[in-house]
Amino acid sequence: MKKNGIWDAQTGEFGWYPVFLREMLLFRRKLLKLGYLFSAMVVPIIYLIAFGFGLGKSVQIKGVGYLGFLIPGLVAMSSMNNSYTWVSSALNLNRLYFKTFQVLVQSPVTASSIMIGEVMAGMVKGLFASSLIILVGFAVSPDFTIHPLFMAALLLNCFMFASLGVITGMLTKSHEDTATYTNFFIMPMAFFSGTFFPVDKTPSVIKAIIFMMPLTHTNILIRKSLLDHQAMISLGMMAAYAALFFIYGLYLIKKYNE
Amino acid sequence: MVNDACMIELCDVTKHYGKIRAVNNLSLSIRRGEVFGLLGPNGAGKTTTIKLLTTLSRPDAGVCRIAGMDVHQNSLEIRKIIGVVPQENNLDKELTAQENLLIYGMLHHVQNRNEKIGETLKMVGLWDRKNTVVSGFSGGMQRRLLIARALLPAPSVLFLDEPSIGLDPQIRRQMWDVIRKTGIDGRTVIITTHYIEEAEALCDRVCILAKGELIALDTPEQLKRSVGDHIVEYVDTQGRLVQHICKSREEAHDIARQENSSVTIRKSNLEDVFIKLTGGRIE
Repeated sequence: MKKNGIWDAQTGEFGWYPVFLREMLLFRRKLLKLGYLFSAMVVPIIYLIAFGFGLGKSVQIKGVGYLGFLIPGLVAMSSMNNSYTWVSSALNLNRLYFKTFQVLVQSPVTASSIMIGEVMAGMVKGLFASSLIILVGFAVSPDFTIHPLFMAALLLNCFMFASLGVITGMLTKSHEDTATYTNFFIMPMAFFSGTFFPVDKTPSVIKAIIFMMPLTHTNILIRKSLLDHQAMISLGMMAAYAALFFIYGLYLIKKYNE
Repeated sequence: MVNDACMIELCDVTKHYGKIRAVNNLSLSIRRGEVFGLLGPNGAGKTTTIKLLTTLSRPDAGVCRIAGMDVHQNSLEIRKIIGVVPQENNLDKELTAQENLLIYGMLHHVQNRNEKIGETLKMVGLWDRKNTVVSGFSGGMQRRLLIARALLPAPSVLFLDEPSIGLDPQIRRQMWDVIRKTGIDGRTVIITTHYIEEAEALCDRVCILAKGELIALDTPEQLKRSVGDHIVEYVDTQGRLVQHICKSREEAHDIARQENSSVTIRKSNLEDVFIKLTGGRIE
């Protein structure tokens, strides 16, 4: 077994690193453009101003000011959007238009290396966008705090939606298709999964649907400070979705055939 | 049974895309160290054949082998010994030349990476531009970088899919020099092209494909000889181009003497072979 510096050359266990590094080099170039930072922040900031400072100024939820309730939800939403969108769009474009995905699948790296590299890159992008919202949260809300379950929910959320991004990126047949998936799945999830209001008072039929949505469980877990029964169920659901999305994404890469 | 001289083998390979049969029952073998051309018009099955051999596509029927290994059962092993220059430029255009090679070198487990990246960039004359973002390169420079990238892991087999497509004649000739250099060290090189002069200039043997089927396979000289060495061309009284394929210069001169109009006698090329065998044109 030959070694090649800090990354193992031959095993494939570290084969994800060049896949990840490539995405990071491209991401660094994007960060140097002002437009990227702006686009990563603009939607959550608009929601923060509209709902937090406008509508929610006089609202309290479970004894917490509305901003303290809203900001963790915006972090969850922002991490979902960025982890998912960057992976699905990049993979779709790289596969269908730029053909750079073919460079990866023609290289002696395993499908799992490609999957891990892409998901980790998606996680970094999701965490970067979330950290901007977290900074704003600390600046505007005294009720906003971060605890271990918050971090666990955030990391798992990024992993889950980056994996879902791989699935969409591999399944879509044109770049326009990715917008369809976003409009039908991601957008409704952002609004109805407890980002802006607690879901426990919704009618039971709707609640059943809402509890099937992965982001609902992120929103529950990210607001918990203790691992109670409800938090454990949400953690379990998130882990199950994450595993399912990861395995299916890996399967799609493995079965890639032109 | 694979003999030592055979590097690549296709046995009864068929590949469909929907109802279109892109490759039809194709069988051929390519020798180790050979510069082998796949020549044919658009839609002949050249790129599909390359995709089948480079693990991108799986055949519907038949077997592809490289160095005795089934390409699709040993895809990771195959990817360690092949280099691919695709028809579509798939460099990361927002990265520099050096970053493109760095990522590729890591993906292909290249040892002494920085040194080899330097050598490869110097070989294709891009060392001075190593820190330039690829989107700032001309088409010819990007093609050279694609070849450099494919050569970085020193592959035993190099696939070049339409390597000089879209390049002006001067840059195309520069590209041929780079390709010739890559073939010198005993590497097996497979080139797809629809440029006649490219196939004649570079290839030891040429396989002519049409509609996914093998039409002819031999050295360029033998292929031309098989249809006739010389071509007599003239425009008849109705304005049509008339061509006679002749086995010898004497026969060509005899025909030329019988014609009253202006006559051209030229050496035959692979386009004439293709026309003779299929009735169509390549370019």
